[in-house]
Amino acid sequence: MRRLLALSALAITLVSTATACGGEEDGNADGTDTVSVGVIPIVDVAPIYLGIEQGFFAERGITVELTEAQGGAAIVPGVAAEEFDFGFSNLTSLLLAQSSGLPIEVVANGVASTGEAGADFGAVMVAADSPIQTPADLAGATVAVNTLNNIGDTTIRESVRADGGDPTDIGFTEVPFPDMPAQLAAGNLDAVWVVEPFKSIVEAEGGRPVAWNYVDAAPDLTVAAYFATTKLVQEDADLVERFAAAIAESLQYATDNPDAVRDILTTYTDISPDILAAMTLPAWPADVNRDSVERLAALGEADGIFENPPDVDALLP
Amino acid sequence: MSHKTNRDPAGPRPGDADTPHPSPAGPTAPRPGDPRARLHPRRPRPRLRPTPGRTPPLPVPLVLGAAGVALALAAGQLLPHTPLVNPAYTPTTGAVLNALAADLARGEFWQALADTLTAWALGLAIAVAAGAALGILIGSLPPVRAAANSTIEFLRPIPSVALVPLAVLLFGTRLPSTLLLVVYAAFWQVLVQVLAGVRDIDPVAADTARSLRLNPWQRLRHLAWPTALPYLMTGVRLAATVALVLAITAELVIGSPGLGHEIAVAQSSGATERMYALILVAGGLGVLVNLGVRAVERGALRWHPSVRSEAPA
Amino acid sequence: MRLLRGALLLLGLPTVLFGLWWIASADSTSFYFPPLQKILAEFAETWTAERWRADVLPSLARLGAGYAASCVLGITLGLLIGRTRWLLHLTEPVLEFARAVPPPVLVPVIMLVAGIGDTMKTAVIVSGCIWPILLNTIAGVRSADAVQLDTAAAFGLGRTRTLTSVVLPAASPRIVTGMRQSLAIGLILMVISEMFAAQSGLGFAIVQFQRSYAIPAMWSGILLLGCLGVALAALFNLFDRAVLHWYHRMRERSA
Repeated sequence: MRRLLALSALAITLVSTATACGGEEDGNADGTDTVSVGVIPIVDVAPIYLGIEQGFFAERGITVELTEAQGGAAIVPGVAAEEFDFGFSNLTSLLLAQSSGLPIEVVANGVASTGEAGADFGAVMVAADSPIQTPADLAGATVAVNTLNNIGDTTIRESVRADGGDPTDIGFTEVPFPDMPAQLAAGNLDAVWVVEPFKSIVEAEGGRPVAWNYVDAAPDLTVAAYFATTKLVQEDADLVERFAAAIAESLQYATDNPDAVRDILTTYTDISPDILAAMTLPAWPADVNRDSVERLAALGEADGIFENPPDVDALLP
Repeated sequence: MSHKTNRDPAGPRPGDADTPHPSPAGPTAPRPGDPRARLHPRRPRPRLRPTPGRTPPLPVPLVLGAAGVALALAAGQLLPHTPLVNPAYTPTTGAVLNALAADLARGEFWQALADTLTAWALGLAIAVAAGAALGILIGSLPPVRAAANSTIEFLRPIPSVALVPLAVLLFGTRLPSTLLLVVYAAFWQVLVQVLAGVRDIDPVAADTARSLRLNPWQRLRHLAWPTALPYLMTGVRLAATVALVLAITAELVIGSPGLGHEIAVAQSSGATERMYALILVAGGLGVLVNLGVRAVERGALRWHPSVRSEAPA
Repeated sequence: MRLLRGALLLLGLPTVLFGLWWIASADSTSFYFPPLQKILAEFAETWTAERWRADVLPSLARLGAGYAASCVLGITLGLLIGRTRWLLHLTEPVLEFARAVPPPVLVPVIMLVAGIGDTMKTAVIVSGCIWPILLNTIAGVRSADAVQLDTAAAFGLGRTRTLTSVVLPAASPRIVTGMRQSLAIGLILMVISEMFAAQSGLGFAIVQFQRSYAIPAMWSGILLLGCLGVALAALFNLFDRAVLHWYHRMRERSA
């Protein structure tokens, strides 16, 4: 029994210590700031990995601790709870969070569509023998997206509308990206919305693109961005500015060095070499395209995914 | 060969009674904790001694078991060649084993394995400590036990995965968030078993303790603890399996470091062979954990005469 | 008076805990921990008859189908494997391995075989629920009393008769224990199976609430899950008493 009590005391101490360690101080003795950034290990965040490698953050006095999470569902709460200082998430998710009352703000651009139909990093794909030829044909079809009521389905509906089709009874199903190629090949889905590397994987299987929803939604659509709590933006504006500047430099570097991007991808993903070579890389402009975000907000509101209208001005820097 | 009072001369093996019961062999069968059990083994069997000079017989169970594994691996090799599955997404056993070999050579794999095992061990320890302590406490006080019943039945079925947002909020995507899910799931396994164990105290022994005027501490040490220990060990075994499953699940869903996170990265990169290889590792780890805990269980309950039993959960 | 006491025991502690939760969260401004008052208000708004029909009932139906399939498969296979020694040795390592793989990890694999519809979700439920039943049946069959089996053989009962009259009753307490464990696992898997590739369901609804930051609704869903768990456990207790009344009475007598 005594052993049991001692064990319990030890366990409780361990847990409390672990909890206490959760909230670390940001300042270091040598004057650099340590920030934790929550990212999803996907193609879009290659610039921040490159930036760390190239020292863009270090020369601004920032040490970045990247934490890989599995989706916005883990990152947005993490930032809100101040587990992460910064996070990476798509704009519709950020609009959703902001319209629900979460105090977050975009601090830097993350990734954007290339804006070119036929050469974008995301598209709606169908099997080679599918009768679907144009976006309008998607009406009434089963289309897979990775998250419902988010950027995928809202932009696809716009694609269909722009082509003169009726988006109201498209059967959107939520399927994780990695499972989409197999389900499309098995015929369980009429179409899938995929981003790289899955777009190339589907193409390797014979699939063909039928709609370029990122391009149709708005010109040069900003897809995702880095964000932080309003509290951090107000309390430590200097840190946020330096972080944003480092990100901007990283984005420029990624745009200028696509081979470096493909190389860095091998360090944090398992994408096979031939897919890496075949992939279309996204665009990494330095600034968030404000008009495109307003367009996303309008599309989302039309589809009824927001409980309250989002405030784009409050969200964007 | 060990001599156990079981039907099978090879003794209890993995896969054995997940929840062994006192066999409904009749009211005269000795129950755990019954001192008479030591004197009357349940099924006296003639001892089998190998005749000196003869080679020991082939361990049939081992051979058959290995054959079963070989069959499964062969099926995995052939399946992608059949029209049943799409070969592009179902790699052959050979391809998976290749990916596994490649992974074993990478340091990140061993780091992830260590992370998962740390989360598992720590979570299990906390769950067992808390479950045993609370179980004995609640179980020893019948009114408390009756009152707590409905609460336990309410909280127990809440899936740990529903706590993911809570975990992320409190602890981010580091080890403690995995621990929250692991401890929550494993705790109930231990608690329920210990409660059953405490309830199973031999009434004669309890009366004796009362007439000897043992204080609560002595009652705990001599009465509750030995009776509950077999149940506790069963609870530890069940909790160990659950803890591992939850550790990997938490890492998969939240992204905290470990095997589950590696599986998620393999999935989100479309690296199916590596994903299957890691699934194999997860399964193998589970088997090892199960074997290990059973060994500990046997060692801890060496003094216990009869087959360990546990009440319906 | 007994009824009152029973009700007090059942509801006493939960009410106290609920009350504490209410008081502790009353002034909460935290986004993810709203006041209990708000959650309960949301409960009535969210779980309308419409949503019950569209989400909860399909989920329960899938759970029922998966659970029933697990019981049938588990008991049948368990009887077969438990009675045939060589089959047991052959399959044991593979079975132990398969049950150790966490279900969420298996979902992509199951999706490959079963697609993305109801079949997949039922398959996910079966993939987790079958193990306690199967392994407990095997253990129960193997623990059948040697004397009884010898008696059956002496009386010349065939394999089938021995199975139904001796083995099954002997194994039934363990089988029922396995079924109880499976039920708890089934509820968890029901939620997990709807986290991927779903269009409706209780787990699906909870995940969607979380994704769209409808936090009070998410909590109300979790509460509903807990209530469902209690209800199912209570139902199972009735089943247990009905099927094993002879066993419980025997244990009480020997106690």
